[in-house]
Amino acid sequence: MTANIPKVDLPLLEKGSSLSQDAIARLRRNKVGMASFYFLLLLILIAAVTPWIAPYTYDAQNLALGAAPPSADHWLGTDTLGRDQLTRIMYGSRVSLMVGFIATAVALTIGVLWGAIAGFLGGRVDAVMMRIVDALYALPFTIFIILLTVIFGSSMLLLFLAIGAVEWLTMARIVRGQVLTIKRQEFVEAAISMGLSPWRIISRHLIPNVLGPVIVYTTLTIPSVILLESFLSFLGLGIQPPASSWGSLISGGVETMEEYPWLLIFPGLVLTMTLFSLNFLGDGLRDALDPRASKD
Amino acid sequence: MTSEKLLSVENLRVLFNTRNGQTVAVENLSFSLEAGKVLGIVGESGSGKSVACYALMGLIPSPPGKIETGRALFHGKDLLQMSEAELRHTRGHKIAMIFQDPMTSLNPYMRIADQLIEVLLQHKKITKRAAREKSITALMEVGIQDAAKRIDEYPHQFSGGMRQRVMIAMALLAEPEILIADEPTTALDVTVQAQILALIKGLQKNHNLAVIFITHDLGVAAQMADDVLVMEKGRLVEQGTTETIFKNPTQDYTKKLLNAVLTSAKPVNSFAKRDEAPLLEVKNLQVGYASHSGSFFSRVKKFTRGVDNVNIRLYRGEILGLVGESGSGKSTLGRSIIRLIDAQSGELIFNGKNLLDLSPANLTDMRRDIQMIFQDPYASLNPRMTVFDTLAEPLLVHGLATQATVLDQVNELMDDVGLDRRFIRKYPHEFSGGQRQRIAIARAISLKPKLIVADEPVSALDVTIRAQILALLLELTQKHNLTMLFISHDMSVVRYLCDRVVVMQKGRLVEEGETEKLFSAPEQEYTRQLLAAIPTL
Repeated sequence: MTANIPKVDLPLLEKGSSLSQDAIARLRRNKVGMASFYFLLLLILIAAVTPWIAPYTYDAQNLALGAAPPSADHWLGTDTLGRDQLTRIMYGSRVSLMVGFIATAVALTIGVLWGAIAGFLGGRVDAVMMRIVDALYALPFTIFIILLTVIFGSSMLLLFLAIGAVEWLTMARIVRGQVLTIKRQEFVEAAISMGLSPWRIISRHLIPNVLGPVIVYTTLTIPSVILLESFLSFLGLGIQPPASSWGSLISGGVETMEEYPWLLIFPGLVLTMTLFSLNFLGDGLRDALDPRASKD
Repeated sequence: MTSEKLLSVENLRVLFNTRNGQTVAVENLSFSLEAGKVLGIVGESGSGKSVACYALMGLIPSPPGKIETGRALFHGKDLLQMSEAELRHTRGHKIAMIFQDPMTSLNPYMRIADQLIEVLLQHKKITKRAAREKSITALMEVGIQDAAKRIDEYPHQFSGGMRQRVMIAMALLAEPEILIADEPTTALDVTVQAQILALIKGLQKNHNLAVIFITHDLGVAAQMADDVLVMEKGRLVEQGTTETIFKNPTQDYTKKLLNAVLTSAKPVNSFAKRDEAPLLEVKNLQVGYASHSGSFFSRVKKFTRGVDNVNIRLYRGEILGLVGESGSGKSTLGRSIIRLIDAQSGELIFNGKNLLDLSPANLTDMRRDIQMIFQDPYASLNPRMTVFDTLAEPLLVHGLATQATVLDQVNELMDDVGLDRRFIRKYPHEFSGGQRQRIAIARAISLKPKLIVADEPVSALDVTIRAQILALLLELTQKHNLTMLFISHDMSVVRYLCDRVVVMQKGRLVEEGETEKLFSAPEQEYTRQLLAAIPTL
């Protein structure tokens, strides 16, 4: 049968063969998105090398100096104990970025898979899986955290687990809702009638098509996780003074904002810039992953 | 009747500003509409026929749309220069419009009564009680029985045809002079379409309305219009009385459109092997939709019959047409054959094996042999996969290709369906509807199936494209020796393509026979109705 097909020279194929490669190419053309990406990369780099480049140590006190406004010695000022604020923000970014990205990654992975599987399989499986989500939702968050601390003591790992355990619930619901509408579309039915395995249908046909809302929700989750960390630290789970995080710096700064405004302004500014970058990058990623968004 | 010009449009030019620059949707269009006449505007999708009329009503979203030049004189006033307030008064009151999809053009949360009364209160000084009386009369006029009672129901309690009647009643409430009907019957079944067309025609005579009737269906235009205007890519191609356009078209495009109307019957199929055992035998098939009620632990299942005790034989090499109106169960039957829907009882003997008894593993193998082509080429392709990925996936999953050979095989499929090989790295949204349907067909034949279930594969396509796709299907079935179950509501398409026809109504099989025999001498009343409802040139 193949014999009677005239042999045509293979034309040169356009570059980019998969969605991810195309997406990277498209993202590169998005200037705001790329700028945000590089800003975040810079933050992560600084966080990684902080112990070697920080001007002071995070717990070095200068009680004689006390809370001082920005100066040549202390670019971003010092706190009430005379600790260098720039140093504390740099050390804080290690905790905050790690919590933000890792806890969100945990939530993302569990939530997307859970929601996609429940939505695609439907029926009783869906009912059981979503009731589990409901049950966890119903658990009061504060009590849940206190219980965890009582049982396991306080540690960074537990912090990630606790936050991830809460944040994936909403993700699972969003993804399930999207999957329910997408699985009725004919291209999914076509995939079923092609004899593809459920796992392949979920990973190749469903998940790529729910990425839009997932990415938007992810960029909203990272900042809320970063702030959640300060609440958890307050409850005794997570980091303890004198270690710092953006969340704890901001909540500390709020208490003294009338006397020493720089203690609130600088950590707040860093957090805000991070959030902006995340949002721009998220928007860029969403457009880049959608082939229907303009090609040029 | 005087031949007074009610509406005259001159040099209308409508632009859309898009990211890739300006697109001209309507270019230099002039036409006039006389009182009491029906003007048919005919064209394929993208011809600008709807945009032109939306522009007159001030319904073009702006930006991105822009009416660049032109005049539209209605009673001496230019519609295009009117203020929003004047326009609002004209809209509905003087010029009314009915839309294509009766399912979405009524507000689902409002009773019919409230929606009708709202129109009257907006345009007339009238009490609520009088408005209600008037609305009931209007509903009676469009043929809704028991109007006084049904007026208090919600839209979902009406069928598609009934909703379109309600829309027409609503359009006529304010006693307009011009009615613009934008593909008012496209979403409806053929027999319902025939009723709605007769209704519009009757109302037009009684109220001495001028009607602009936008349609892609030449048969409908021939039946409805006094004058016809043919449009292509925003330009006027030809205009004249219906008779001249259809009998003596002067432009090539008009001729092409007319030729695309399927009047010919299919040549006798020499491939069908009737003497052998059938490839697929459907025996006493019952398919129902289960709806759940009750709590999580005590589920009550309720069944609604979709397919009721159907028996069909499909022989190797033949194309069997399955016709019926919406709700007849024809799609349900098609989907249960490819096991997208589970049947409750009966047998599906395919190639000697009962599909309903297969274990999940065997079912996966069997899926290779039965493929489906779907109706909507916009929904049936994964928007995030390139054509290459779409076509390579089934080949790789079923082990019919290796990484080394898959590119060649995909290219051959592209040749088979007449698509340029250079397109394989593109995404579905970069293709037109017809091209997408070609991709979907390529995917269906990629596994070299024995049977293809085609569910209305051409009903979403323009007439000229439709003819091409049908020719392609015919060519491919012969080349690859395919057997096809062709589901359609369009009798002329079935006549063109199918060897035998099965007619379904309300889940049951009504009639079965050789295509030509069935078309020339239908035995059942329902088949006769279906055939009579086909609009002809």
